[in-house]
Amino acid sequence: MARDSRYDILFTPVQLGPKTIRNRFYQVPHCIGAGTDRPGYQMAHRSVKAEGGWGALNTEYASIHPESDDTMRISARIWDEGDVRNLRAMTDAVHAHDSLAGIELWYGGAHAPGMESRCTPRGPIQYASEFEALTYCKAMDLDDIKMVQQYYVDAALRARDAGFDIVYVYGSHSYLPLQFLSPYYNKRTDKYGGSIENRARFWVETLEKVRHAVGADCAVTARFAVDTLYGEDGVEVEQDGMRFIELADPFVDFWDVNIGDIAEWGEDAGPSRFYGIGHQNDWIRYIKQATKKPVLGVGRFYDPEKMVEVINSGIIDIIGAARPSIADPFLPKKIEEGRVDDIRTCIGCNVCISRWEMGGPPMICTQNATAGEEYRRGWHPEKFEPAGSDDTVLVVGAGPSGAECARVLMERGYTVHVVDSADKVGGHVNDVITLPGLAEWGYHRDYREAQLEKLVKRNKDCQLALGQKRLTADDVLQYGAERVVIATGSSWNTDGTNNLSHAPIPGADASQPHCLTPEQVFAGDKPIGKRVMILNHDTYFMAPSLAEKLARAGHEVTVASPVALGEYMHLTLEAPNMHRLIHELGIEVIGDHACSRIEPGRVELFNIWGDGYKRQYRGPGNLPRDENRTHQWHECDTVVLVTGRHSEDELYRELKARKDEWAANDVKDVYLIGDAEAPRMISDATFTGHRLAREIEDPNPQYPQPYKREVHAWGAAYIPGQSHELIWRL
Amino acid sequence: MKILVPVKQAALVEDDFELRDDGRDVDPDFVDLQLNEWDDYSLEAALQLKEANDGIEVVAVTVGDDDTEDALRTCLAKGADRAIRIWDDVIADADPLVIARVLAAVAQREAPDLVLAGTQSSDLGFSATGVAMAAFMGWPHAAVVVALDYAPGAATAIVERELEGGLRERLEVDCPAVLTIQLGINTPRYASLRGIKQARSIPIEELSPDELGLEDQDIGEQARGSRVREMYLPDKGQAEMIEGTPAEQAARIAAIVKEVMGG
Repeated sequence: MARDSRYDILFTPVQLGPKTIRNRFYQVPHCIGAGTDRPGYQMAHRSVKAEGGWGALNTEYASIHPESDDTMRISARIWDEGDVRNLRAMTDAVHAHDSLAGIELWYGGAHAPGMESRCTPRGPIQYASEFEALTYCKAMDLDDIKMVQQYYVDAALRARDAGFDIVYVYGSHSYLPLQFLSPYYNKRTDKYGGSIENRARFWVETLEKVRHAVGADCAVTARFAVDTLYGEDGVEVEQDGMRFIELADPFVDFWDVNIGDIAEWGEDAGPSRFYGIGHQNDWIRYIKQATKKPVLGVGRFYDPEKMVEVINSGIIDIIGAARPSIADPFLPKKIEEGRVDDIRTCIGCNVCISRWEMGGPPMICTQNATAGEEYRRGWHPEKFEPAGSDDTVLVVGAGPSGAECARVLMERGYTVHVVDSADKVGGHVNDVITLPGLAEWGYHRDYREAQLEKLVKRNKDCQLALGQKRLTADDVLQYGAERVVIATGSSWNTDGTNNLSHAPIPGADASQPHCLTPEQVFAGDKPIGKRVMILNHDTYFMAPSLAEKLARAGHEVTVASPVALGEYMHLTLEAPNMHRLIHELGIEVIGDHACSRIEPGRVELFNIWGDGYKRQYRGPGNLPRDENRTHQWHECDTVVLVTGRHSEDELYRELKARKDEWAANDVKDVYLIGDAEAPRMISDATFTGHRLAREIEDPNPQYPQPYKREVHAWGAAYIPGQSHELIWRL
Repeated sequence: MKILVPVKQAALVEDDFELRDDGRDVDPDFVDLQLNEWDDYSLEAALQLKEANDGIEVVAVTVGDDDTEDALRTCLAKGADRAIRIWDDVIADADPLVIARVLAAVAQREAPDLVLAGTQSSDLGFSATGVAMAAFMGWPHAAVVVALDYAPGAATAIVERELEGGLRERLEVDCPAVLTIQLGINTPRYASLRGIKQARSIPIEELSPDELGLEDQDIGEQARGSRVREMYLPDKGQAEMIEGTPAEQAARIAAIVKEVMGG
C-alpha cells in the first residue's frame, strides 16, 4: 500500500550543512551496551534501523579520551586507531542504506568515575557528582581547557576517519560543555564563568575548533538540554537556553535539543507512566525562534500524526527518536509503505534504559525481542527463517511469551494454534495496564493481537482460540500438534512465600476475606477495607502501582517492604516521580520491615536488621545472632500480598510425566516458556517466546543456542602493530 | 439419524476494495473468504447433538465453486462426518431461491431428520436460503432460533426464537424441519490440529445439479427470483471536519446548526 500523503513531509530531505539527511527520521544517540568493544552489535543494531528507513543513526555517547571513562556503564570510545577500526563497521553498514552516521563526542567530568582508566576527570570547578558516588573532578585551569578542547578536536578527526557524517559536541545530560554553561556547576570568576557569554565560551570555542578541524567532511552539532529544570539555578530555556543557541549557532549545522539533566534524566527519556508523546514540546518550541538552522528534538515520537504535527506547527524540523527506533527499527518504512498498523509502538517502559543504568548488559526491549540480538543471534526484526518442516505447533497461553512465540512461528510459516482461556490476547498484561499510568503498556498486547489476527488470515489452518476452557494434558496430547509450547504464565503467591524467608508468612491466606493477591485486587470481587497494608517483596512496579491505585480510590495505604520499594524503577527512571507521587498521596512506606504474622485486622512487622550485628557459634539449633525482638503489631483491614510469584506449570509437568505417551499421539516435543518457566519481566517473557520460535527446530530447543560473542580474541591485535604477547615494562 | 448443515463460504471485504468490472459484486481480489459466522453456530448445534447422542451423522453441504471447499474442510475439521459440494457455472451469481432449490434437492437425496442452517449470511444477509429451502421441501421451519431442545427421532422439537424487544417465543415444531440458527445459541468450537489434518483426507463429495435431477430451468438465470442490478458505495455523508481556532470552530458549528435546524 502506498503511504498516506499526509505523511509526505516526513519523507522530505533536510540539508545539514555539508550533509543531507534523506528524510525526517533521526535516531538520536542512545546507549545499547555495544560501545566500541562490540563492533558487530554496534554495526548490526544501527544498520538494521537504516534498512528500516531511519535517515541518520548515531552511536551512543562516545568518550573522546580515557579521562572520560564511564565504566561500569558502557559508552562508545574513540580514543585510538582500534576504536576507529571498530566503529568503521557501523558507518559502512549505515552508509550502505544511504543513511548518515553520527557520533556523540563526550567528556563527562565528575559524572564519569574513571574506574577503568583511573584518570582524573576535569570539570569547570571542583564539584562532587550528584549522579555518581564519591566522584570529584579537578577544576580546570586555562591550560586544562586548551588540552581538553584539543581532545575534542583529535576525537573529531578520528571520527571523520571512521566515516562519521555527523560529529557532536555533546552537552546534554549535564556533561562537560553544559557544566560550563550551567551556573549550577560553573562558579568560575574568569572569562569562562559569570555571564552567559563567559559560561558559553568553553562550548562555543570547542564547537569552533571542531568545526574548523572537520571542515566540510562532517556536519557539526551540539546536543543541548535547553532547560535543565532547576529554574534560575540552571539553564532556563527562555534565558540562557535561547541565548546559547544564538551564541553557538554560527558553528553548528543543526541543533539536537532536549531537556533535563543526568541525575534525573527520566525527565528527558520520560517513562510513559508519567509522560506522553511530545512531552518536551513546551520547552523545545522556543528554539526555532533563536536559530534558522534545522532543529531536531525528541519526545517518544511513535505516531506519524504527531510527527507531522510537530513539524507543521514549527516546533522541530526533524523527528528525533531513541526508544521508538528500538521498539520498531522499521518504523519509517512502515509509515512509507502505508502499514502504520504494523508499527511496534514503544510502550515507554524504559526497560531499554534500565540496562545502561545497571551498567553493562546489552539493551533489551519489551516490545522488540530482537533488539540487541541482531548481530549475536542474527535476529532481524522483520525477516524470519522459513519453517524447517511441516510440523504443527500448539501454543497454550496467549500472554506475552505465548503470543510472541506464536507470532514468530506463524511468520516463519508454521501452522500454529494458540489457545487461551482468556477472551483477550495479552495474559497478565491486561491487568497491568489497568494500573495508574500504565495504559500505554497495552501497546505490547495490541501489537501481538493485531499481528496474530493478520497471520491467522494468511494461513487458514492457523487459529487463535480465545475464551476456551483450560486444556488438560489429555486435551493437549490429543490435539494433534507435533510440537507443544506451554506458556501458561505465573500467579502471585497466596500464602506470602517470598524471596527472604523462602517460606509462607504465617496467617497469609488469600482464600481469607482480609488477604488479597494482586490478581484479586484486579478482579475486584473481594471488598477492600479502609486501611490497606501492602506486604512487598517485589522490587519492580507492582507494590508502588497498587499503592497508588488504592490510595487514589480513597484507602489509607501502608507499604511494608524489606526490599527497596520499586528498586528496579530507579533503572527505568520511574523512581523519582514514583517517590514524589507516594509522598503526595500520603502513602506510608515502612522500609526494612518484613511481616512475621498476619491475623484478621492486623499484621506483625519486624525490622530485618533487628537480630544484632554480632555473630557467634552457639551450637546446633541456635541462631548465630540474637533473637529479633523488634516485632510490632500494625492494625489494618486488608492485607495485599505482593510477596512473590510462582509459575503455573502444572500442565507442563504432567505432560513431561507422560512422555511415554507422546509418540503414540504424534507429539515430538513439549516446551516451557515465559513466566510459566520462571516469573520475570514482560520483556524477558517476550524474549523466551521469540527465542523458542526462532530455534524450535535447532538441537534441544528448550535451551538457547550459543550466540556469537564479541571477545578480544587472544593473539589478534586490537590496535594495529600491537602485540598480544605479555611484555613487561622493565 | 442425520443432520444436514448447509453452509456458505462468505466474503469478508477488505478495508480498501474495488468492484467487479460489471459493477454487480466486489472484485474477488479484494475479498477474504471464511465460513459464514452463523454457520459456525448451526454446525456447533449439530455437533453438540451428535456428541450427546449415538448414531447421528452430520453432513455439511455447500453450493459453491472450488474456492468454497475451505468452508467444508472447516466443518470436517470440527467434526462433521461428510461434506458435499454442488457446483455448476450456471449457478454463479445465483439468488437465495436458486441456492435453496439446490439445497432442497440435496436434502431430498440425503433424507435428513433435521436441517440446521444459519439465520443469515454475513456477506449478503438475505436471511432467505434456509426458509426458502423449507418451503421447497414442504417442511416446517423456524427462523432465528436461539435455543433448541430436540431428542433424536422425536416427532417434534422445542425451539426458542428471538423476537424484537428482547422477547422470546417458545415453539413446538414438527420434525423433520428446517431451523435457522441465530448467533449466541452456543459457543462454537475451534478445530484441533488433529481435526484439521484428518479433514484433509476425507473426500468431499462433488455433485452437479444434473446429478441431483435439477435442470437448467430450475437453477439458471430465469429461475432466480431477483437479480443484482448494481452494487455501489452510496455518496459520502455530510460529515465535515471543522478546522480553525476554537472560536472559528464554534462559529462554524453554530452556522451548521442554523442551516440544518432552520431559523
